[in-house]
Amino acid sequence: MTDMTTIPAMATITEVHPLSGDTSFFRLGLKEGEAQGFTFTPGQFVQLSVPAAGEFPISLAGSPGHGRELELCVRKAGHVTAVLHNLRPGDPVAVRGPFGTGFPVERMRGNDVILLAGGLGIAPLRSLFHYFLEHREEYGAITLMYGAREPSAILFRDELAELACRRDIRLMLTVDFLTEEPAGGPVCRVGLLPGLLMGIKLRLDQTYAAVCGPPALYRCLITELLGLDFPENRIFLSLERRMKCGIGLCCHCAVGDFFCCTDGPVFSYDRIKEIPGVI
Amino acid sequence: MPKTITEQNLRLLIDSLIKEGTRVIGPRRTGTITLYEPLARGEELDLNELPRRSAKEVFFPVCENILSFQRGEEGVKVTDIDPCAFPETVLIGARPCDAAAAPVLDSVFSWDYKDEFFLQRRRKTTVIGLACTTADDACFCSAVGLSPADSKGADLFLTPVREGGYLCEALTDKGKTLITSHARLFAETSAAAPLSLNEPAGVKLDLHKIKGWLDENFESPIWKEIADRCAGCGSCAFLCPACHCFDIVDEGTEAEGHRRKFWDACGFGKFTDHASGHNPRDAQPKRYRNRIMHKFKYYDDKFGQTLCTGCGRCIRWCPVGIDIKAVLEEIQKG
Repeated sequence: MTDMTTIPAMATITEVHPLSGDTSFFRLGLKEGEAQGFTFTPGQFVQLSVPAAGEFPISLAGSPGHGRELELCVRKAGHVTAVLHNLRPGDPVAVRGPFGTGFPVERMRGNDVILLAGGLGIAPLRSLFHYFLEHREEYGAITLMYGAREPSAILFRDELAELACRRDIRLMLTVDFLTEEPAGGPVCRVGLLPGLLMGIKLRLDQTYAAVCGPPALYRCLITELLGLDFPENRIFLSLERRMKCGIGLCCHCAVGDFFCCTDGPVFSYDRIKEIPGVI
Repeated sequence: MPKTITEQNLRLLIDSLIKEGTRVIGPRRTGTITLYEPLARGEELDLNELPRRSAKEVFFPVCENILSFQRGEEGVKVTDIDPCAFPETVLIGARPCDAAAAPVLDSVFSWDYKDEFFLQRRRKTTVIGLACTTADDACFCSAVGLSPADSKGADLFLTPVREGGYLCEALTDKGKTLITSHARLFAETSAAAPLSLNEPAGVKLDLHKIKGWLDENFESPIWKEIADRCAGCGSCAFLCPACHCFDIVDEGTEAEGHRRKFWDACGFGKFTDHASGHNPRDAQPKRYRNRIMHKFKYYDDKFGQTLCTGCGRCIRWCPVGIDIKAVLEEIQKG
């Protein structure tokens, strides 16, 4: 057994496939014996070590119920992720974590849930979404609203197309720009994500919102949700910060007197709204 | 009865500790610079001036390996570093501004995760503090609630006396043990006259009032006024006894390497920069504001302590002359 807080547990890449031009899906298998009983809460993240490159924080994008099997959705953005994108099934990586506070799935039980994902923000919300689907009978109405820049930037297209056929969930997709005719894939609208909320009927006292996306999206989504009288303590959002240590020491992810890596990254809006510069 | 130790016996104490296998760190002068460094002999101890860098690195080194990895036929092997193997250490001659910083840092290194790299070094170190007789224009310990005679953070505290030598006050079990195990070097006295310690000049800061202003003034023109000339060099953070940010970097090849922890500074432009291009503190005034907020508001909100001991190093060595004491005085005016 490895204490995965500071010492990473070894893992092997078992599957890689592209999701868009710069983003790929990675499935990892944690080495047997090193990560017994590994589990997490949707919204938590891990620090992924890539040999000879370093570490980066990344949301867990799969269901927590898969034991030693982890799913990640990684954009090629910096040095370490670029090296990762050159790796193939069979290559070794290592994992520390899981870290932070995820979405309050227990508190959400019995309620309706609305998931709002912008761009790469779909990664942690996919984890939450799969969790809800695996515990379908414990939750009320489940809605996923997902906005991407353009059709080719929609991640998990095949999966979403399949989910679109389910009758026990509501799936709404939108793209900012329609630059090309989408070749197959799920049906989507054109327009910004907050627009999907217009005209939506919500049972405000029985609904939780989970939001993840780029900072600019938070500003307009929060305004939109508050405009619908959505209670502030029922809006949960995941903050993007540069986590390094993962254990509340190094200060890279400090927001006011919170550390995103331990107090967050998922916060209820009422807890952080007074912190200037938070989104 | 109070104990005293002569100048000569203090050096013999160091020799004796080294002989017993204890690592002794104290101010040592090389050329024109005094630094807290491992001493080879008692006579190397030089207590004449405040060391250039703080004593923080005794507990929190500038750079250290936190694990190593080797790739063999059976995959990658990760080797842990055992903090229990850190050496028994005596830090001697720590000024009040340096000794007092260690207990302040205990809060962050143990609030949630217990950082054994820091905490083991704290456990294994006995701090011999020294009352300060050399305040200069940049010093402001008494403005932030300390004083040249403050023994906070020390296990044993030395106060220079007029007749030469030091009055010794054992404050903890570690300090008492140090005296009893070297009893022949200490004398008992009934009449030792402490040297007068000169309080740093300047305004006494009302930290409560300053925090009150910071609570309300995240957005203020003052940040741009001060920080427009900040070069973002990080000197202030690296010299500070209480700054504790660090970075983690892997060094090596695919075959083998180390994971290392380095001091970092929130004044650096890349400190909060994401690979995605999003940078929550994308301009120097925002970074300087964070430095002040962290020390005098956030750390207080979270741990009820101030992350500054008034050593004045950041004032003495700032290449563009930013004076944190003047900034705080300005804030205090409201």
